Amino acid sequence: MTAFDEHTVLVIPCSGIGKVHGLISREATYLVTDELAPEQAKTQCLALLVKGDAEAVAAVQSHRCITIDGCPKACACKNVELAGGMVVKAVRVVDAFKTHRGAQPGSASGLTNDGWAIAREIAETVATEVANQTGREVAS
Amino acid sequence: MSDTVQKVGIISCSGEEIPEGTISRLATRRVLELLRPDATVTLCLPLFLAGNEAERDFARTHPTITVDGCAKQCAKWGTEQHSGPVSAALVVTDILGEPCTACHRSSRDRGQADKEAVWAVAERIAAEVDMVLAQSMPAGMAATATDGASCACSSPLPGGTITVNGATVTIAGLPLIFEQCAEQGVPADAYGRQALLDVVKIYHSIPSDEESAYREAILAAYQQFRREL
Repeated sequence: MTAFDEHTVLVIPCSGIGKVHGLISREATYLVTDELAPEQAKTQCLALLVKGDAEAVAAVQSHRCITIDGCPKACACKNVELAGGMVVKAVRVVDAFKTHRGAQPGSASGLTNDGWAIAREIAETVATEVANQTGREVAS
Repeated sequence: MSDTVQKVGIISCSGEEIPEGTISRLATRRVLELLRPDATVTLCLPLFLAGNEAERDFARTHPTITVDGCAKQCAKWGTEQHSGPVSAALVVTDILGEPCTACHRSSRDRGQADKEAVWAVAERIAAEVDMVLAQSMPAGMAATATDGASCACSSPLPGGTITVNGATVTIAGLPLIFEQCAEQGVPADAYGRQALLDVVKIYHSIPSDEESAYREAILAAYQQFRREL
């Protein structure tokens, strides 16, 4: 796992592989960790956490976490909580679609412009929460 | 194992932290959508690990291939923990023979190295699917899935259409085939005509007496594709 300090917020997507929602969750995460808040936010492998990897479990227990789930099954949120992590905000991609009626976001393999717009909107919401949690401004 | 033809489950690690996780995921999608759409399904690893019984039951009763980004092999571990031994366990770094230092996590940054890595891993997965099916099927049975097991994740990509001798023909994954050809520099003119046909023939059966008509139709569709790039 990448080294990060205690103030870092962990952004953990579900990365569901079956539908576009999982890809949006993943790309929104990278927009936060690589572009909007690279100093304040990092991501972590969800599967590694679910596997019970000691380092991954310790990380979610010692950092604030934001989860981004593609579907209502909320695998990311549930598994972070099961591991003893504190989820300060749980975002659902399906909710973002409610304000994008008729959008054609792409597929589980690639996003269209609509898909990227939704991913960026989610990322900005998450980055705002990261700023709130860390007290440090993020890029906009 | 039943004596009906099986579908093979492919479980990719999510691997959010590393480029190899993205390669694993995209290669799995490519097999599902283009290389072996009728013979494969995928399972959502976090959902599988979280205890979804339908997904675990599928992995118990069907051959399963895991594709992991790194040596921690979360997908393999999780599958064997909950559903029993896997038919094959692939690791991206083993397939590529080296760390993916030139690859990226986000598709926004995707470059040639990412595309080549995805193709290499996808082709290896497809080869493993063929081997698993060959081992699990009665001799002589065609490798088409017919047992009805499926999930929403496995729907093949809509095909592209071309017009051959006045008839509309759908070719599965045609846009992806064209994308690959464009990446490889296949020209959209008479020089690229045969190369295009050869690639399409891998995925779509073309009667020999219709090859000439297909050659022209595919070229016309490819030219249109390149114009829209």
